[in-house]
Amino acid sequence: MKVQWWCAALGEAWEWTWRPYPGVWAFVALCILAYVLILRSTPAPAGEARHRGTRAAVFGAGVASLWLVLDWPIGALGAGYLASAHMVQFLVITLVAPPLLLYGVPTEAYHRLQPRVVAALRSLTQPLVAIVLSNLIWFITHVPLVADRLLASQVGSFVIDIAWLATGLQFWWPVVAPVPEWPWFRGMTRLAYLGAQLIASKPLFVYLTFTHYPRYATYELAPRVLGITARADQQAAGLLMEVGGMLILFVAAWILFLRSMLREEAADRAQAVSGR
Amino acid sequence: MSPAYRRAAVFIFAAALAAALALAARLSRGGAGVGEVSLTGVVLVDPIPKPDFTLLDTEGQPFPFKERTAGKLTLVFFGYTHCPDVCPVHMANLAAVLNDLPHEMREQIAVVFISADPERDTPERLRQWLDAFDKRFIGLRGSLEDVNAILAELRLAPVMHGEPDEKGNYVVGHPAQILAFTPDGLLRVMYPFGTRQTDWAQDLPRLLRFTGNGPLGLRAHTEGGES
Repeated sequence: MKVQWWCAALGEAWEWTWRPYPGVWAFVALCILAYVLILRSTPAPAGEARHRGTRAAVFGAGVASLWLVLDWPIGALGAGYLASAHMVQFLVITLVAPPLLLYGVPTEAYHRLQPRVVAALRSLTQPLVAIVLSNLIWFITHVPLVADRLLASQVGSFVIDIAWLATGLQFWWPVVAPVPEWPWFRGMTRLAYLGAQLIASKPLFVYLTFTHYPRYATYELAPRVLGITARADQQAAGLLMEVGGMLILFVAAWILFLRSMLREEAADRAQAVSGR
Repeated sequence: MSPAYRRAAVFIFAAALAAALALAARLSRGGAGVGEVSLTGVVLVDPIPKPDFTLLDTEGQPFPFKERTAGKLTLVFFGYTHCPDVCPVHMANLAAVLNDLPHEMREQIAVVFISADPERDTPERLRQWLDAFDKRFIGLRGSLEDVNAILAELRLAPVMHGEPDEKGNYVVGHPAQILAFTPDGLLRVMYPFGTRQTDWAQDLPRLLRFTGNGPLGLRAHTEGGES
């Protein structure tokens, strides 16, 4: 068996036989190790221990979601066989894992960052910069000439996945706002940001879905999996992007809305108590 | 806006419009010159006449190839049904585009699949495999000697069978290109593995124009490079 460290297009017939991807395991282990080191170096303030547990669980869910889509079988299918599996990877790496990872890191850890890093983060996470840059990278990595070239090698495939994760973190930062004193948005303006993303993702959706011929040589010339034709696969990828992306953004908007409501209610109660 | 800015804006708009029109005109020409046909396949410098042979079809009936495909654009592929990669992908992409063609155009095209593994490709298996792509695909079988003789006539490498594994499975080495015999009975273009659906969609109508009723130049990738 030919062992790859990261999932890339092989050009071989697909087999439902497990394959190891040591690079993916190393990446996941590195994420967990970094998180443990962060927790150890930033003791929880008094009364925050319970929140630490919740944050650790959320971070764990983020890492688990990454592992799920980077490793066999989804990682291998997405890298070389099915555009629809590639789209599942895209949605999870850019829209599901990043908010979980951002929320999972304790706020105190962000306070320990070097001033230069803070300055860079503040520039990169301005809402307009974040939404434009992340969508630009997402569009570029879906241009057939770029995607076909990168998916053919393990390094290229790794670059795509890391670029998606980095821009996913950038996109979500203004919404999740892990550092309360650096919020870009307050209250409902975050919902408008998510709404803008629904519009920003449209060109890519149209590009992938409303085409007669398959766009990507990687998937068109790959041995078929489960008898799915190249055209059906690409249309499924486009629909997944639209429906899946919309669903994720709606869930995020709903959570933001609920949290905002709960906060307002709590503030009202506190005001009522203090007014008595 | 000052008059100078207004003039500059009008000039830029006019220049952009002119550039867009020029680009549209260039694209609409499709890159083909007068009297030439531009193709994405590999064009043979010396076209090869259609070979005259008879093999058995999937009904077990003799199929005189030259006679039965006369006047049609004939696409021939040597492959095998146990092929894990090249054969099913090539056939699927071709079938997808043929399915899009207008009926009258589709009727002028014959697709012939010649088995490079007659031992395992029984008539039933071959028919079932081809039907998954297009029920109109013709499947032919013959002895390996017959198949290799046809390949030699077409100046292609012979079929090679690999060593069987512990389960008795083996791979078959075979030409990976689809051969396009134009309606005038000449093998003019070969389509290697990697030919995309967009390539077929562009080339098939153009290949149908080679009816033998007049010279048509070919402009494409040739055996020796660009022509």
